[in-house]
Amino acid sequence: MTDTTAATPTHSKTPVTVLTGYLGAGKTTLLNRILSEDHGKKYAVIVNEFGEVGIDNDLIVGADEEVFEMNNGCVCCTVRGDLIRVVSGLMKRKGGFDAIIVETTGLADPGPVAQTFFVDDDVRAKTELDSVTTVVDAKHLPLRLADSKEAVEQVAFADQIILNKTDLVSEPELAEVERMIRKLNPLAPIHRAQRSNVPLDQVLGRGSFDLQRIEEIEPDFLNPAHGEPGHVHDEHCDHDHHGHDHDHHGHHGHDHDHHDHDIEATGIRGISLTTRKPLNANKVTAWLNEVLQAQGPDILRAKGILDVAGEDRRLVFQAVHMILEGDFQGPWKSDADRYSRLVFIGRNLDEAKLREGFEACAA
Amino acid sequence: MPYAFDAYVTAVSFDAGQKALFALGDGTVRFEDGAAQTAHDGAILAAVRHPSGQGLVSGGDDGRLVWTRADGAQEIASLPGKWIDAVAASAASGLIAFAAGRDLHVRDAADAAFSRTFAHDKTIADLAFEPKGRRIAAATYGGVWLWYARIEDQKPAKLDWAGSHVACVWSPDGKFLISAMQENQLHGWRVADEKNMRMGGYPAKPRSLAFFSKGNLLATSGANGVVVWPFAGTTGPMGKQAAEVGYDEAAAVVQVAGAPNLSWVAAGLDDGRVWACDVTGQRIVPIKAEKGAPVTALAITPDAKRVAWGCEDGEAGVAEVSA
Repeated sequence: MTDTTAATPTHSKTPVTVLTGYLGAGKTTLLNRILSEDHGKKYAVIVNEFGEVGIDNDLIVGADEEVFEMNNGCVCCTVRGDLIRVVSGLMKRKGGFDAIIVETTGLADPGPVAQTFFVDDDVRAKTELDSVTTVVDAKHLPLRLADSKEAVEQVAFADQIILNKTDLVSEPELAEVERMIRKLNPLAPIHRAQRSNVPLDQVLGRGSFDLQRIEEIEPDFLNPAHGEPGHVHDEHCDHDHHGHDHDHHGHHGHDHDHHDHDIEATGIRGISLTTRKPLNANKVTAWLNEVLQAQGPDILRAKGILDVAGEDRRLVFQAVHMILEGDFQGPWKSDADRYSRLVFIGRNLDEAKLREGFEACAA
Repeated sequence: MPYAFDAYVTAVSFDAGQKALFALGDGTVRFEDGAAQTAHDGAILAAVRHPSGQGLVSGGDDGRLVWTRADGAQEIASLPGKWIDAVAASAASGLIAFAAGRDLHVRDAADAAFSRTFAHDKTIADLAFEPKGRRIAAATYGGVWLWYARIEDQKPAKLDWAGSHVACVWSPDGKFLISAMQENQLHGWRVADEKNMRMGGYPAKPRSLAFFSKGNLLATSGANGVVVWPFAGTTGPMGKQAAEVGYDEAAAVVQVAGAPNLSWVAAGLDDGRVWACDVTGQRIVPIKAEKGAPVTALAITPDAKRVAWGCEDGEAGVAEVSA
């Protein structure tokens, strides 16, 4: 992990939003809004199998979802070859684009799409992954989570979730759906929406992979207060977050609800670890590398903010499978805020073992 | 002669009269005298010299294949909704090949009615005619497929090698086929017996490949200098080491061009510089010393007297090589 203290005028890179979600969840509605709203921006949308059509300023281009394995089949080096080609073609266009949106099919694994933006040097030089955004609908999500491995993975992988069609369910149903999402993915903010009517500036320009913007990780997915409209974590609530600091440090234990069994069959869940003891930088880096090396194929995502002994800045990291990025970022907001927390989202995770390994990193 | 085109330079090529032609991301073809022709409604994704030696054949994201000369642009093929992002042409056979998605298309410059289409399992990344122009190689996922360009009904010869092949080139004697891979390495085949060659050790993707020195040497990008592989003899580079010419720790070579029958090679760097070198003496001749946006297109004349280049930001130029 290297130290980058210089100011970063790096935003000449085109941000890329990956849009996932099973059939019927509302992806197309959202895409149509992105393309038709009067936002003065120029977008390129990469969709699956579609002719190239320009709508005013925007460009829709078809891609074939050609997933291939690099380096002898390492799952973490699985990338989308078609995206590499399409992105390099888009970069030749005069004027460029304000953003690129990649729509995946309902059955797609978001991993290879995301990894393409880290593994290929040329793509990486020109673009930066902004977020993996998953659209789900409140009415059918419980069913889809029960019968579709892909639906579970798409929720687990997401940086943010658009919970669509909230008008089709009751408030208690909605709370239950949000609880299910939280169990799979404690990190992603949930935006409630009807007919995909979430404000576009909340969907695009998230900087979810930008270490400088991983401001907070609030692993409070078992907190029943979740689901309140005011609770959505978006950039507007960064500031008042200190105000409603929930008591979310392992306080609620684990409720083994029986109706989550179908989701549990995939073995995917989120695990959050926290400690108030400052960590040894070398130990925690070695441990993270070891965990990701050994369990990378099973770990979809990881994010963390760590308190390292003898260092006034926060050590921030994010990982997609085995691809780990970490760096020292700005100072802690307050002493109360100064503690280490991280979240792993993946399958077959041994929480006790992870916790033990994490706590052994204390300085 | 410097130019500021204000659009990505996709390709540059010298025509039969040793004049440079530039293909740009704004859909135009630019000529040395400053003239311009609009060839595409969108970006030019690939362009090569027309088999006649006059003008450029270009593929665009408007799905069209266009032949552009100083006096106008003429459409050769149109596949609405597709991207044509690989184009090859053979002066020897007069054939033009282009790829759109998984299909390889062949046209004859002398016979407008001639048309062939060859389907692949995966998208084609690059095309290369064998020196006589009768066979065409298509780099794709899992290897390179070889087709006889004129035969309608055939099964391709498949040179298999796991992974994604992103560029390909034939040795001038037609004995070797070399592909660049998504991983930082080349893969080669001796076509007669399909013997495999792995040519690795690159710090970056070796995307640009050029034979020169009568086929005795292959220059590639993908390192801090131009990587030069020896191809003399029947075994090519097998068991031999590559040399690195013009090593510069501060920059990476991203484009190469070679004079087919001379020992001159030109290099375009990711910091915008361009140089040429006669590898027998290894003296580097600066062509463009000013730094800028990465070089994206490069060409050298067969007599190695002129070099043309183009960059990501539209900076471009032609210069004499002062040997």
